Amino acid sequence: MGKGEFLGEFEQVVLLAVARLGGDGYGVSVRREIERRTRRDVAVGAVYTTLARLEEKGFVASQEGEASPRRGGRAKKLFRILPAGERALESARGMLDRMWDGVVLGGTRHA
Amino acid sequence: MSTRRGGGPPGLARLLVRLVADPESRQAQLGDLHEEWAERAEADARAAARWYRRQALRSVLPNLRHRAGRWTGRGPHGDGTMSTLVRNFRLATRSARRNAGFTVLVVGTLALGIGANTTVFSAVYGLILNPFPFPEPDRIVGLGTAYPRLGGELSFWENLSPAEYLDVRDATRTLEEVVAWDMGNRQIAGEGPPQNVFTGFWWGDALRTLGMRAHLGRGFTDDEVARGDPVALLSYRTWRDRFGADSTLVGKALLINGNPHTLVGILPDGVVLHGMDLWTILPVKPDEYPRNRRQFQILARIRDGMTLEEVNTDLEGIARRTEQAYAAEFEEYEGWSIRALRWNEVASRTFRVGGFVILGAVSFVLLLVCANTANLLLARARRRRREMAVRTALGAGRHALIAQLLTESLVLAGLGGAVGVGLAFLGTAGLRGLMATLALPIAGAIEINGPVLAFTAAVAAGAGLLFGLVPAFQASRAGVAGVLQAEGKGVTPGASRQRIQRVLVGLEVALAFVLLAGGGLLVNSFLRLTRVDPGFAHERLLSMRLTLPWEEYQGDAVPAFFRELTERLGAVPGVRSAAAGTQFPPISFQQSQLWFEGGAPSEDATLPRALTTVVTRGYFETLGIPVLAGRTFDATDGDGTPFVAVINETAARRWYPDGGAIGRRLKLGAPDSEEPWFEIVGVVGSTQNRGLERAAEPEIFGLHDQLGGGQNQLFLLVRAEAEPRSLLPAIRSAVAEMDPDQPIYAIQTVEEAFASSVATRRATTLFLTVFGVFALILAAVGVYAVVSYTVGERTQEIGLRVALGADAGRLRRLVVVQALVPVLVGAAVGTALAVPLGAGLQSILFQISGRDPLTLGSVAALLVGVAAVASFVPAWRASRVDPVEALRSE
Repeated sequence: MGKGEFLGEFEQVVLLAVARLGGDGYGVSVRREIERRTRRDVAVGAVYTTLARLEEKGFVASQEGEASPRRGGRAKKLFRILPAGERALESARGMLDRMWDGVVLGGTRHA
Repeated sequence: MSTRRGGGPPGLARLLVRLVADPESRQAQLGDLHEEWAERAEADARAAARWYRRQALRSVLPNLRHRAGRWTGRGPHGDGTMSTLVRNFRLATRSARRNAGFTVLVVGTLALGIGANTTVFSAVYGLILNPFPFPEPDRIVGLGTAYPRLGGELSFWENLSPAEYLDVRDATRTLEEVVAWDMGNRQIAGEGPPQNVFTGFWWGDALRTLGMRAHLGRGFTDDEVARGDPVALLSYRTWRDRFGADSTLVGKALLINGNPHTLVGILPDGVVLHGMDLWTILPVKPDEYPRNRRQFQILARIRDGMTLEEVNTDLEGIARRTEQAYAAEFEEYEGWSIRALRWNEVASRTFRVGGFVILGAVSFVLLLVCANTANLLLARARRRRREMAVRTALGAGRHALIAQLLTESLVLAGLGGAVGVGLAFLGTAGLRGLMATLALPIAGAIEINGPVLAFTAAVAAGAGLLFGLVPAFQASRAGVAGVLQAEGKGVTPGASRQRIQRVLVGLEVALAFVLLAGGGLLVNSFLRLTRVDPGFAHERLLSMRLTLPWEEYQGDAVPAFFRELTERLGAVPGVRSAAAGTQFPPISFQQSQLWFEGGAPSEDATLPRALTTVVTRGYFETLGIPVLAGRTFDATDGDGTPFVAVINETAARRWYPDGGAIGRRLKLGAPDSEEPWFEIVGVVGSTQNRGLERAAEPEIFGLHDQLGGGQNQLFLLVRAEAEPRSLLPAIRSAVAEMDPDQPIYAIQTVEEAFASSVATRRATTLFLTVFGVFALILAAVGVYAVVSYTVGERTQEIGLRVALGADAGRLRRLVVVQALVPVLVGAAVGTALAVPLGAGLQSILFQISGRDPLTLGSVAALLVGVAAVASFVPAWRASRVDPVEALRSE
């Protein structure tokens, strides 16, 4: 796997959020999903720049969604995960699993 | 901060997102933030706004990092090539971190300079340039008048009569929505005790003139104005503070002096013209007033496409036509003029000059900071010349070096600007506190908003370029060979740098000179002002206003009320005496034309005019105004006895220069007016009745018992044995015993009234003094730095001299004298600059010339003295150089 396909921690989190949301991932829902599951309050700007990076790497694709008065008349940008993104997530997880295998921290053995 | 705007996410934060967000996702980011904000706002609007701001701030870095990466061709993975810009930025921040002490010094002085500029600009912007939320402020004008025959200057308050209003309204080709108003105090009911509010009585709908719509409800309709309907508009702040922003009030009845009015609307936030919190319609028609009853103001809107000059030409024509028609009857129309001025300028007229003087001074401070920073950078460049030479040797071009050094300067300026904005938040908070204590009828708010931040950014960037350019070019000029050679040899290097440093020191001294001279002139003026004798004992004297509603008190009931009230107040323990009057020094404003039995006493070109003050018995005794001739009002004067008057010394001297004022008679108004004759029974000492800065004006006093009925709005004046405010509860209960519905308001001591009459001057003086001292310190630091470095570079030369037997004292003198050359040149340039600038200050100086030689001389002596001290320390160190050490270091 080349360096370009390596996923940072936050990239993994964002990509997983997009994957969980099916086709409904956009700024608000991704942010909320991350907040709900990780208890981390993340900035919209950080979510978007990460998504832009993931899009450049070919891991996600985006399309314009509907605009509404609730959004001040601005369109949504909807994201969905691409096969390359799924592979990257799997390989990241596999890499971590292999790294964890047999590690002992403070007396607890991780399977 | 931005309470003015209603719905929608916080404006500044939204602007920030718009600025920093990646264009590809900008709309989406804004939309997402909006969506989540709207959801949160339903639960808690303030928490939602806070959330939005935090989100906006936290989104800055990721967005910028992302864009910088894209812009510089840096791939998404963090490797690849770094652009020059990013590299220079990194070098600059690294350099700033490495020289922490230097950075703190430079950033600190820059922050002070930029912070002071931001604070002052926010005040000038909020109070002078843009005090009202009018959509097209340049089209809103007030009309001023000047009557040469009455000796008057251009006045914008209580300056026009209803007939003159009709003259303008019906004939103008250049103005539209011309409205006029009168002002007074009215009581409004609500929860709690009745409250007095400053009220405007209008002919017309001023909201249309302003081009605004009511915050709630509507303005006055033409039919309402024509019929004089009992309808009212409340200011936003009164509606919010007194009525809890209850929107159901609109359309309901509001009791004004006990009479029901329909509240048709709430004024937009920030629209408080001259402190008026209540607007009603004046039920009397303009043509029912005499032509010379000048107690109105006019507000108008310039027609689309017209200029202010065209308006003034138009008004000049109207004035001339009125003069032709009426000058025979009303002499004051001879040569009179009407002029339009933008309303923003009318409203800020009294403190405009002071504001711009302070802004000018603070920009001088920043120039000085720039010169000082450039100086420090040059001094530091000496230590970095190897670095520069090595970079050049490794192939860095001249432009690359300049770019790198300029980037460093801009980073310093950026840091200074950021810290400066922080300081400005403190500064503006302090200013707001100061303004609150002064309680001036000033519109606008001092806040750090978009335009202020834009100003700060421009100032910081300009400063960075200014102080960065000189050292950058200087450093890039030194060739590799020159530097590397100079490094080894004991020659005096950097002669051109030293020359530039001397020029910079001269510049600093010149700027400091100008600031100190301005501060000195103002301090001098202020000291002279505080020495002016007010003409009466103004200590421990409390003033407050009481307005009897005419619906309840008419005719003799009004003087009877005040007579009894002052008697009761006089009996309150701790009160020495009490009186009442329609005005008191220093805030006397009611004037009248007058005429003398047997014709005018002198052949003045101006018509006789005087302040006319109606007082109760005991007014002179309570204020401590001395009786110079005759008597004051006593028990023999009253309703039914002949009208009597007391005049002040200024009036007696002007009208009866040969003496014998007592027993003469005069009347108010024009020679043929129907007013009764008043016999002069006494002459009293003159007080500073128009404030400390203006000479005492002629003043006529009449007795309330004789003139009472219409004078229902008086100031109570209470002389206390000790601290006067402690008497307030007792005074309030004395008033309440007579009528519990009448509040006292506008409470201040007479000392405070004097202080607030010079508040702008005090602020200007204070600011210029602080700036002057800061400038002096910076200039001293500059001198010290230059002399230190010069001496440091010449250590070997000096060591040689000492070794050859030079006298230490002579050596010291030599160094000091050399250091003083640029100081003296700077002082000379400063004098040349200060003389014209001092002339510009003349309008706010008091009894002193803008070229006052004593002030300018003292400033020069102070600067040269401080510079001499600053250069003596390094000179002394130079004279102690150990020749062996100095020569060994070769």
